Amino acid sequence: MSTDDQVPILAADDVVAGYLPGVDVLRGCSVRVEPGELVGVIGPNGAGKSTLIKAVFGLLRIRAGSVRLLGEDVTNRPAHEQVRRGVGYVPQLQNVFPALTVEENLRMGIYLRPGAFARRSAELEELFPVLAARRKQKAGSMSGGERQMLAMARALMMEPRLLLLDEPSAGLSPAHQDLVFERVKGINGAGVAVLMVEQNARRCLQICHRGYVLDQGRNAYTDTGTRLLHDEKVIELYLGTLARVR
Amino acid sequence: MARSHILLPALAPALVVLFASPAWGQGDEVPHGRGFGARLLQALIDGIQFGVIIAITAVGLSLVFGTVHLINFAHGEFVTIGATFAFFLNASPAGPGWHLVPAAIAAVLFGALLGGAVDRVIWRPLHARGTGLINLFIVTIGLSLLLRHIVLVLYGTRPASFVQYDIQEAIDLGPVGITPRDLTVTLLSVLVLFGVAALLQRTRIGTAVRAVSVNRDLAEASGIDVQRVVLFVWMFGGALAALGGIFFGLEEIITWDMGFKLLLLMFAGIILGGLGSAYGAMVGSLVIGIVAQVSSLWFPVDLQYAWALLVLIVVLLVRPQGILGRPERVG
Repeated sequence: MSTDDQVPILAADDVVAGYLPGVDVLRGCSVRVEPGELVGVIGPNGAGKSTLIKAVFGLLRIRAGSVRLLGEDVTNRPAHEQVRRGVGYVPQLQNVFPALTVEENLRMGIYLRPGAFARRSAELEELFPVLAARRKQKAGSMSGGERQMLAMARALMMEPRLLLLDEPSAGLSPAHQDLVFERVKGINGAGVAVLMVEQNARRCLQICHRGYVLDQGRNAYTDTGTRLLHDEKVIELYLGTLARVR
Repeated sequence: MARSHILLPALAPALVVLFASPAWGQGDEVPHGRGFGARLLQALIDGIQFGVIIAITAVGLSLVFGTVHLINFAHGEFVTIGATFAFFLNASPAGPGWHLVPAAIAAVLFGALLGGAVDRVIWRPLHARGTGLINLFIVTIGLSLLLRHIVLVLYGTRPASFVQYDIQEAIDLGPVGITPRDLTVTLLSVLVLFGVAALLQRTRIGTAVRAVSVNRDLAEASGIDVQRVVLFVWMFGGALAALGGIFFGLEEIITWDMGFKLLLLMFAGIILGGLGSAYGAMVGSLVIGIVAQVSSLWFPVDLQYAWALLVLIVVLLVRPQGILGRPERVG
């Protein structure tokens, strides 16, 4: 996917970060996303997957290392500036404003450019038809799957070049998980680069161009999604031996 | 506001008492030459007067709690400093002797600066270092002590009043009376509260404040500059506290520990109304003010705060989330 003359849309190098003073969750982690690429990050619980996304987006202070967006150094710039630069972020949990209606949630998504609301909400309601039907409904009353759709639509309102997804399938039924992965693929197909961390490693690698395996705050393996899917060691450690059956 | 329909049930007990009262007053002895109904009505008016002032001071405390989840113990001192700063400009022999109106405006601006300074000097750096909320809460207790004693040194212990609008003849409204000063202060307070509600509900910064209090990360992800919103909330809270202090000083008296004494009632109002909800803080404070004043019809005035706090306990037993609070959503 990557070509040499292109500047990567996201380049995070040797990132060290954590929540408590003196305790590093990420211990020198590097991730790269090329324009139009769909990149997945998998790893066991506590490997630092969500931490990586938060550090890249600017919600968490980076202690060492750097983050560059399209070549521009954005290390430790606040998250709302990344939104302006074309990065969308969907948190794992609590990713909608429950007390607001679907329409108001979409309006929050385009807080920085209120003038573009009508056009973008129409476009996104076409992509996520369920939202058009629920426009006046409170987001808090929607099912988990519908909420995930709304959360993604909210993040897409600003027409980001890069979408960061934190475990989009977490807590969803298998049917809804399939729907979410399908949508992620569709969003990427429309030209948006995606960096997704996932606990559902197998389904994630199936749709990704490239994958990273994160272990104890460092990336252990990097390869194309399909090759990781068939890598003996990855299967052994992260996919479970049942995966070999397929 | 969709929540306004909850306001009526909250005030219903007060209204029921109001309409039932003439029947009570007739049979019994009528002390002080005025009927019980008239005294109750007067206590109710006093209660509303008191309640809206608590509400003005409590809204800022509630907004700060809502956005950064910090209980700011020094908020009472914001109130005191607002009143004493206005007193300095208006009535102190050492001051410039301004009229109260410009003095009040200057004190409100000073309150905003004070709130902003607490954000920039204390909250932001300590929070960035990962200081826990409990530790920060203790820090605000220390700040409260420090500020209160600075006021004590500069202002002294003597209660005082502003130069203008000090002693006034009450306007006779049939069974009850209210001075033009108190009427003006109350109407202004109500206007300010409606203004705060309009700001939160209709303006861009108000939307941002509400978004930050619901979900900080999601607000950031929407492109909202959360640090700026938090600074705004601290300044806004400081300004409202100062204004409340001036109003309280006008209606009652200015003392070096007035804000500290009000703080308990602000807490009661906020918790009664529902933690973190600005409208809850308003309704809760109003209830606290009314209960405090009405209780003095039967019980010694010294106990009026105790009755207000008793109501808090009773309401929380029935509605743990407070009057306007939402129960925590699970799943």
